[in-house]
Amino acid sequence: MAQHTGSATAQMKDRTGVLPQANYRAVRAKTVATQSVVTLILFILAFYFMLPIIWILIASTKNAKELSSTGIFSLPSRLHFFENVRLLTTYQHGVYWMWFLNSAIYAVAVAVLTCIVSSMAGYALAKYDFRGRNGIFLLVIASLMIPGTVTAIPLFIVEKAFNLVDTYAGVIFPLIASPFGVYFLRIYIQDVVPNDLLDAARVDGASAARTFWSVVFPVIRPALVTLFLISMVGTWNNFFLPLVLLNNQDLYPLPVGIESLMSLINTPEAAMTVPLYPLIITGSLISIAPMIIGFILFRKQIVTGLTQGSVKL
Amino acid sequence: MAAQMIRNRMQPWTFLAPFLLLFVAFLLVPLIYAVYISFFVRRMGVLYFVGFQNYITAIQDHQFWVSIVRVFFYGVVQGVIMIVLALLLALLLDTKWAKFKSLFRLLFLLPYAVPGVFASILWGFLYSKSMNPLLHDLKFDPLSSGFLLYAIVNIATWEWAGYNMILYIASLTGVSSELYEAAKLDGCNEWQLARFIKLPLLKPTIVMTCILSFIGSMQLFNEPFLLTALTPISPDFTPNIYIYNMAFSMTNLPYAATLSVFLALITILISVIALIVNRLWRRRTPTAGAGASAASAA
Repeated sequence: MAQHTGSATAQMKDRTGVLPQANYRAVRAKTVATQSVVTLILFILAFYFMLPIIWILIASTKNAKELSSTGIFSLPSRLHFFENVRLLTTYQHGVYWMWFLNSAIYAVAVAVLTCIVSSMAGYALAKYDFRGRNGIFLLVIASLMIPGTVTAIPLFIVEKAFNLVDTYAGVIFPLIASPFGVYFLRIYIQDVVPNDLLDAARVDGASAARTFWSVVFPVIRPALVTLFLISMVGTWNNFFLPLVLLNNQDLYPLPVGIESLMSLINTPEAAMTVPLYPLIITGSLISIAPMIIGFILFRKQIVTGLTQGSVKL
Repeated sequence: MAAQMIRNRMQPWTFLAPFLLLFVAFLLVPLIYAVYISFFVRRMGVLYFVGFQNYITAIQDHQFWVSIVRVFFYGVVQGVIMIVLALLLALLLDTKWAKFKSLFRLLFLLPYAVPGVFASILWGFLYSKSMNPLLHDLKFDPLSSGFLLYAIVNIATWEWAGYNMILYIASLTGVSSELYEAAKLDGCNEWQLARFIKLPLLKPTIVMTCILSFIGSMQLFNEPFLLTALTPISPDFTPNIYIYNMAFSMTNLPYAATLSVFLALITILISVIALIVNRLWRRRTPTAGAGASAASAA
């Protein structure tokens, strides 16, 4: 620390000592110029990243006719947003809100159950010495390498045999079996939960279950928040698995539901009778909104989760 | 003296039981079943054992290899563009000139919060002449067959650049400020600081993001699948689209399983090779971390 301030004052002396006043002003002007150029570049890049989001905000206020006849950034004659929401709500007796509810059910159920199941398994692998411990951990790490899309189609066949196709459980169970969650919590528990603490709990006469719920669980709460958010976002965004596992549109989550609307664009009868474009656009906006709002609110936890999750991998 | 790990025969298995049960039923069994059924063909609803015949068919399957070559090409192009952009974002935000840092960081990362399906819908409509009249005037069709792959490159880059930027920023904030001070005292300007200090420090993270991005590219599915509503896309556009069509349009499950296993083997092979090369490479050159601590010690 002392070294740090020392070098800073040395630098300041150097600057005022060597540079004449005029030269100093030129350097300042140059800094201001560079600053503006950098900020301008950042603004242009930000515009690129915001472009589709700005567009959908505007597009959701247009009706079908305006969508196809006006430019992407031209504003509508009047706001049609609530009209579009009403179209969405009345489309097939409100199936859209069913999809919304399904997405919420899948996301919350998977997030809660992943946290419980993974923390139990992670605790066993981190703090118990038993035969088969290394073998199981290796299996968990190896399965991290298997792309999720590989097992999706065989999963469909297996679930068919168990009558799990077209059920909530059929979508939720495979997503709880999260090797990442177990890996993440095993590492975390090993680093953070002291063995002495567990010893103390045992000496006090706490059962294994009680030690886990009242001692370990509260200590690992930060990691659980991270895992909860990661699994919730991952499930809300998941498309391939529910696409393969579900036929009944009443069970669709939002991405699969909206995709089913998209595919109607190519069937002329549907495209003629249903205002597909406003439905898809408004439906997409309402699907994205919770993620974006949640992201802004929880950005600290999410960023920690992203960096911890992959840097440690 | 730290306390020992807990020794107990039954307790760990009780804690592991729920995970193991789900893991076996929904991951291992499907995986084993996929391998098992890949040795059969189905004729008139009856399965016949054929040994490696499906794998021989797959090796000779022109459509499958074309789709693999396509995602390889896509993986390289998309990976390079996205990682260069993400590095640019991270390094720009790390200079002393950047203003509103946390706001920009949030704006760049926000597309990551948009599910892939909706990112494809948003960009798909922006690419579509019926929704974006400007394209009509420019006589430019991003969804034409010649440009389609690059249109998807843009969607994926938009979705993932901010995520990679965050990983780079995280690696940079771990660096002690003394190293920067030392470099500045030695007369480093911001450009040299980025080129000779920050980039070498980021190398391990860059290698890791390259591998992750390439593996992700091999699995490309959502974006082209969604765009089929707006433009014709061949049923063998990517390996996963080919496998999906094989399973559900052609209802040839054994062959779809064969291709899945094949694709998984290729993906695992690539990640293992990449990890080994990375290990060897790191052993040959002193790691950036060691260099950093040596520099700050000096």
